[in-house]
Amino acid sequence: MLRIRFFSCLFFRLLSVFRSGSSLVLPARAHSVSVAAQALALTLMLTACGEQPAATPPATSAQVPIRMAVAQAPVNLDPRVATDAASERVNRLLYRPLVDFDAQSRPVPALANWVSVDATHYRFTLLPKTTGTLRAFHDGRPLSAHDVVATYRSLMGMAASPRSAEFANIQRVDAVDDDTVLFQLKQPDADFPARLVVGILPAALIQAGHDFARAPVGSGPLRFVSWQGALTLERLADQQRIQISEVKDPTVRVLKLLRGEVDLLQGDLPPELLRYLQGRPGIRVQSAPGANFSYLGFNFNDPVLQDLRVRQAIAHGVDVAAIVRQALVPGSRVAGAVLPPEHWAGNAGLAAYAYDPARALALLREAGVPLPLKLVYKTSTDAQRVRLATILQAQLKPAGIALEIRSLDWGTFFEDIKQGQFQLYGLTWVGLRTPEIYRLAFHSDSVPPRGANRGRYADPVLDGMISAADWPAVTQRLHAQLPYLPLWYEGQFAAMRTGLVEYSLRSDGHWDGLATINNLVLPALPAD
Amino acid sequence: MKHWSGYVLLFWLLAALLGLLLSVSGLALPGFAQADQIDLSRLLALPDSSAWLGRDDLGRDILSRLLEGASVALSVALVVTSITLLFGTLLGLLAGYYGGWLDRLLMQVTDVFLAFPGILLAIAFAAVLGPGLLNLVMALCLTSWVGYARLTRVQALSLRQRQHVQAAESLGASVPRILLRHILPLLAAPLLVEATYGIAGLVIAEASLSFLGLGIQAPHASWGSMLRDGVRYLLVAPHYVLAVGFSLMSLVLAVNVLGDRLRDALDVRRSD
Repeated sequence: MLRIRFFSCLFFRLLSVFRSGSSLVLPARAHSVSVAAQALALTLMLTACGEQPAATPPATSAQVPIRMAVAQAPVNLDPRVATDAASERVNRLLYRPLVDFDAQSRPVPALANWVSVDATHYRFTLLPKTTGTLRAFHDGRPLSAHDVVATYRSLMGMAASPRSAEFANIQRVDAVDDDTVLFQLKQPDADFPARLVVGILPAALIQAGHDFARAPVGSGPLRFVSWQGALTLERLADQQRIQISEVKDPTVRVLKLLRGEVDLLQGDLPPELLRYLQGRPGIRVQSAPGANFSYLGFNFNDPVLQDLRVRQAIAHGVDVAAIVRQALVPGSRVAGAVLPPEHWAGNAGLAAYAYDPARALALLREAGVPLPLKLVYKTSTDAQRVRLATILQAQLKPAGIALEIRSLDWGTFFEDIKQGQFQLYGLTWVGLRTPEIYRLAFHSDSVPPRGANRGRYADPVLDGMISAADWPAVTQRLHAQLPYLPLWYEGQFAAMRTGLVEYSLRSDGHWDGLATINNLVLPALPAD
Repeated sequence: MKHWSGYVLLFWLLAALLGLLLSVSGLALPGFAQADQIDLSRLLALPDSSAWLGRDDLGRDILSRLLEGASVALSVALVVTSITLLFGTLLGLLAGYYGGWLDRLLMQVTDVFLAFPGILLAIAFAAVLGPGLLNLVMALCLTSWVGYARLTRVQALSLRQRQHVQAAESLGASVPRILLRHILPLLAAPLLVEATYGIAGLVIAEASLSFLGLGIQAPHASWGSMLRDGVRYLLVAPHYVLAVGFSLMSLVLAVNVLGDRLRDALDVRRSD
């Protein structure tokens, strides 16, 4: 209370100063400081006036870096330890893995071709020359099978690596010769090649205990230059430099793009800001369909939600198409299954449940639940999440469902979800690649902490289908049984200065376009 | 009270009453949408005849939400002020009148509460108790009684030495009678002024906690949560955050100015 009195007092003091036109009397010391500052400013102004614009040689595009602002800077550039999205995205540019994915998410050779010798042996043969670059690390050393072996051995031996569990199935890995690596597994694993997406590090530097986290050395299309404030990378092909800096606030990122302080933004903007940018001169907005899957999860330990008719009622009560059209970024799509239709294990034949509140109400009556049905929906405190939850709440109201929203901080929220303490929750799966997700999220053996079957869904029919790897049947069954209500795949987008070209967007939101982006028109120098 | 601050306060009191009426009855202002009625086709629409202050990020009428927010802000402030005024004054009276170990104990407790920044303590309480309006009221109550207890105790310490109190004591008046009839009336003026400032502080505190997501939950409106949402769209729809910001400022300023004037009016030295 004292504080408020003080501020209001200050406010009136200032007000009276403005009214009387006199200047604020500063204490002596502050006064001299301000005089000094004025003198300094004056000097600066004078020198600025005296200096003539020198005839500088025209800068080539390679000398002018392309500046990208991101919501969250990378944390760790060691591909063996990094798990956050930004680090993973930068590491894809700095390092090359053995295997990558094509547009249908099938594993394809990146550094190496493979054959399955038998159920537990895989032989990888390094390609003589990978697309665009020689098979060499950025420090000039050639990349050989021994580097692959060293990378995977260090991964398996690292106690602190969050990825070591993924590779626990590897019995041993050996270099047959300079170009061939043999993996021996403990258990047969048909999806094994799809796991080898970790970037390859130079063996000599691994042995020397090099700090890859801050000074990465890989064999990717971009080379690490420096990391002081902004992360600076250089493209091997044409020495084009790229600067990545962190700007947390979305409004500030947009303002920086408009003012020419950055050249490129990707993702992490509310749809309204993106629409605002679309209408601005000198800015180009590019969008593409996304693959990150948002859904509504049900708890099968809850007696009401166990009833299929109640889940169907909720599915009919949500107008996903309207949300996608009005409240999401361009490029967003209504989802029918966990994996998008273009995925090789996706199912394009699944239509979303039609929006029909009357039918929803009829289904609830049939199920014999008291109306309005009270349900609690848990979500994080993220503003866009709460906003979407509020839309769901409003849409479900005419369907006879009174949704109570509990927005919890991320830690509490995620812990509750893992513990099964919820009725409904909303989350998004990011970066899904293999149909392994169906086992992870729906198999009755995958209840946390062993997997991510957070709704405690147990269906022997589905378990059988998953074991048989019959993905069309699995997706069909999930669509009918509704352990998740699929909502949408959020679109991917980038906003950039109009001079930038050849930036491609991927459905998973990776920044691979930085390997091809070009500067056709150099940014205009500030007019003054 | 022919001063602008009085009219502003009166305006917001009426607005809050109207907002409370609307949210309890579930009705809407004639010609306007309800405070929680979503319209996805008019997200962040500019002011027009169907929504005088425009629409928010879910297409809801900002004016109706401002009214609802006013009722939340003022009812939280008034409820918390009444509870803490009662509780704080009582503790302060007991400590000041009796003195001794009771005084030392109570003042040490208040010192502990004073040592914490109030809003931080409220955040901690709201985080432990979970978000929600009732928990918000409890958190604010726990932090804002201290000022009244301190003020009352100091005044009571000096008032009990006054001759009329000593006269009452020698006449055999009971303690409650002395406290309520001989000490409290002399305390009323400073307490009233303190309470006025307290209300302004609580309006800000409620908005701050709601801004952080610890206050009233969606879809109900609070000025703090509206500000938080509005800030995200500052570039696209400045009308949203301006409407809320101006409301909050006018109410707090009016209450503060009113408190200032009240203090001047009640000051014995000045009114002489």
